Amino acid sequence: MSDAQSPTDFDPVEPNTGHDFEPVDVFPDSNDFDLRPGADSCFKCSVCDTNCPVAEVDDDFPGPKFQGPEQWRLKQTDDDYEIDDSVMSCSNCMRCDNACPSGVPLSQMHNTARGEYVEEQMSKTDIEYWRNRILSNYRLSASIASKVPRLSTWAMNFGPARWLMEKTMGVTKERDFPDFAPQTFREWWAERGGADASRRNAQQRREELGLDRNADRKVAYFHGCYSNYNTVGVAKAMVRVYEHYGYEVVAPEQKCSGTPMFANGMLDDARRHAEVNVSSMSDLVDQGYDAIASCTSCSMALRQEYPELFDIDGIEKVSSNTFEAVEYLRIHEDVKADVQAAEVSGELAEEFAYHAPCHARNQGLERQSVELFRDLDGAGIEDVGESCSGISGTYGWKEEKYEKSMDIGEEMFEHMEHADGEVGMTECPTCAMQMEHGTGYEIRHPLELLEAAIVN
Amino acid sequence: MARTPHIAVIGGGSTGIGIARDLAMRGLDVTLVEQGNLTHGTTGRMHGLLHSGGRYAVADQASATECIEENRVLRDIATHCVEMTGGLFVKRPEDSEEYFQKKLDGCKECGIPAEVISGEEARAMEPHLAKDVEKAITVPDGAIDPFRLVVANAASAEEHGARIETHSKVTDLIIEGGEVVGLEVDHASGSGKRVHGTEGGTEEIRADYVINATGAWAGRIGDMADVDIAVRPSKGVMTIMNIRQVDTVINRCKPKGDADIVVPHETTAILGTTDEEVEDPEDYPEEGWEVDKMIDTLKELVPMLEEARTIRSFWGVRPLYEPPDVGSDDPTDITRDYFLLDHDERDDLQGMTSIVGGKFTTYRMMGEEISDHVCAKFDIDAECRTADEPLPGSEDFSVLRDYMDEFGLRSPIGRRSVERLGSRADEVLKTSDPNPTVCGCEGVTRAEVQDAIEQSGSDLNAVRIRTRASMGNCQGGFCCSRLASELHGEYSEDIAREAWDELLQERWKGQRHALWGEQLSQAALNYALHSTTQNRDNDPADGNPVDFAAFDSGVSAGEAPRTADVAADGGRRDGD
Repeated sequence: MSDAQSPTDFDPVEPNTGHDFEPVDVFPDSNDFDLRPGADSCFKCSVCDTNCPVAEVDDDFPGPKFQGPEQWRLKQTDDDYEIDDSVMSCSNCMRCDNACPSGVPLSQMHNTARGEYVEEQMSKTDIEYWRNRILSNYRLSASIASKVPRLSTWAMNFGPARWLMEKTMGVTKERDFPDFAPQTFREWWAERGGADASRRNAQQRREELGLDRNADRKVAYFHGCYSNYNTVGVAKAMVRVYEHYGYEVVAPEQKCSGTPMFANGMLDDARRHAEVNVSSMSDLVDQGYDAIASCTSCSMALRQEYPELFDIDGIEKVSSNTFEAVEYLRIHEDVKADVQAAEVSGELAEEFAYHAPCHARNQGLERQSVELFRDLDGAGIEDVGESCSGISGTYGWKEEKYEKSMDIGEEMFEHMEHADGEVGMTECPTCAMQMEHGTGYEIRHPLELLEAAIVN
Repeated sequence: MARTPHIAVIGGGSTGIGIARDLAMRGLDVTLVEQGNLTHGTTGRMHGLLHSGGRYAVADQASATECIEENRVLRDIATHCVEMTGGLFVKRPEDSEEYFQKKLDGCKECGIPAEVISGEEARAMEPHLAKDVEKAITVPDGAIDPFRLVVANAASAEEHGARIETHSKVTDLIIEGGEVVGLEVDHASGSGKRVHGTEGGTEEIRADYVINATGAWAGRIGDMADVDIAVRPSKGVMTIMNIRQVDTVINRCKPKGDADIVVPHETTAILGTTDEEVEDPEDYPEEGWEVDKMIDTLKELVPMLEEARTIRSFWGVRPLYEPPDVGSDDPTDITRDYFLLDHDERDDLQGMTSIVGGKFTTYRMMGEEISDHVCAKFDIDAECRTADEPLPGSEDFSVLRDYMDEFGLRSPIGRRSVERLGSRADEVLKTSDPNPTVCGCEGVTRAEVQDAIEQSGSDLNAVRIRTRASMGNCQGGFCCSRLASELHGEYSEDIAREAWDELLQERWKGQRHALWGEQLSQAALNYALHSTTQNRDNDPADGNPVDFAAFDSGVSAGEAPRTADVAADGGRRDGD
């Protein structure tokens, strides 16, 4: 077999969780997964530890091998076996999942342990608990703030207020809060005519493309919180690009994907949101829609974390029909050729320093933007390497984690400085915050460049 | 009484050590000799079940009653060796209803607390039980660590003045005028704690009375005095799973049979067992089919066992005995009861009694009976206190502590350490020195390893049975070298190497029967580590002292490297 061929009978190692194991039958609430069997796959090689960005900068963090298979194996199911508090230092970047050569369900172990720690060991009157809860419920804060977007943007970056937030809540004052968009994506979407308008646009494009006017091209957009309240341009770009290829878009009822809640062990909150998301997405999947996310952490949550952590009707179906926005187009359309034929000018005619988010890596998407845009006339793209940006959602917002977050990001900042351009690019909203914070660059999303290249 | 009689006990398993503790507590002089480590024989090769007596409640009610009595005693005196997991006798659809009733009635007749629960209730307790398990009987079975129990008994015996000699093999009995008056012993490495490289030697131990507590080896000692002790050794295989699939002891509710029990043991679960008579307790075939058959049968109770990772298998030899006139064909028919053979009454040979048969759970009771017997010989009126006085480590203690604040240990590591050490936790774990984790699989820290080395010398297998270091899922792949390094300081480099090799050999031995699936990957990685990185297959330094002084201390930070053009990987610094 030559190097170019790949073996077809490759069978990745599946963790053994028992053939007929039915957690719903035995546990009253399925946050109580017994993950000890996952330790069977670990042969202690420590590759997860060497890939953990937190362990690299934080000597007090014992690393994923301990957090995952070792802790689970040493633990027993009795209530008085406690989870070590170091699990709260894991940033949930999920790099260990990819690093493991043996299929240990590491992030599932961390998420479950963290959920158990928060539920059973963390004081609910503790300021850290409320800080984490507020950070992970960004959607709630953002929905209130976006009622008065300009005032909120000002207030959230008002020095004395930030000093107070750091002192009382432990939210670092070093970072700038993101701007709230004057109009949310959903407001724009409704004003534009919602799904009906999108269907009309798609039908018109199908005719232009010589396709059947009623071709089965429909996607349900999981925009997430950030492109609804903050980077509305990304969401608009997604709609326009998809319509350009003749896809009709719906924007179903949705809540937070749960990503920040998993990272803070707020599994009850995450479940509540997941129930809404799974319910609306699974109905649409039944009608032939695929679920598309423009945030790689949102697609990660729907694809991997949901079925690993929850047992909700339709969850497997949603998981296996969820895609990242650019990934989906690259599967179904010849976007590459269209981009090669295109040229950008104006605002997005830039050299981009591209950072692949950890959660994009976990989905195998770390090269897609570079591969897509490297032949685009008028713009350039350079991969700034495989390090983690360090912010990991809420992790870098915590006062006690801020320095570590910046230490992790150092390698990425340096590589961005060395890259040709002075504009960054990534799929992940919080990676974008970190990239901007560390370099002062403006950060764009691949969908925005794609829109500039091929739409109009 | 003119003077304190000196009793020699042969055999450092649970029976011998129980006798030694009892006699020493009654004020007698005791010397115990053991050919290998403590627990070297059958004790170290059992499945760790603290019997409730349920297993004998139908066929052997005398044994069942003894078991439940001793079960209660051990929970009291050996708390740090016992985990009260509870046990279930589960009934599958094809198992007899009549036998299920007999089991339930038998338990009640023997005073064993037993209740019937439904299949659903059983699965709520143990989610991985097979879906077609119909119902179950709950009994107070438990898990017990034989190593810890024997070590604690030995420590107590020594506190009461006994002398314990391991790695000391009896080569002959000294017989004068038709009476056994002592032993000839071959010490592998001198007397006292075992230290590799210490010159051994023979010793004549004179004793007023000799007790042969060598279990399956009893016949060999008998041969030295031309008395016939027809022990019928029977082998059984046990397989260790990487994790606990169950947290309760699972027995199959069926008349005698192979492969009918799963015992949760520390971080693992132990599957047992088979029953087959062998000629020689030291030389018998260990066959792959025995392991396969056991997993195949037990997966009927716990289906996930079929795919689960096995880290090791081992065989034990039961020291079964039956009076010569019974003549059972099948070893499973031989009673599990114990027999006290006074060779004076039996063979006209004075000065020695053998104890044969019996079970681990009743070791203390056997010790009490034989101690009564010995005391009677010497007209000593001393009461047995072994049922009331807790073992060292089992004095009042709690496992629920703030491990980080008190010992600087992460929660699961602190928890496991305190469970193992019991009331000795403060003494061992409170240290101002750095205390890194030496064995990650079992959560064993340097302080615990150093404590074990202090007790047992340079013998790393003795350290292993005290701490569980190297008994987890990598089977010593990562920690054997670290354990050997812990000998540094007290012991020289060549001693550390010898102890290291001995531990590696022992660790590989049991893995031979687990080389498929995940454990095969583990073994491949271990082999790479041991033979290449650590040179354990052929170390040029073995046997030759290493001139450590010839090594410099490396380049300090800030100092320019002396050979600036060579990188550590052998390549050039300015490129590849």
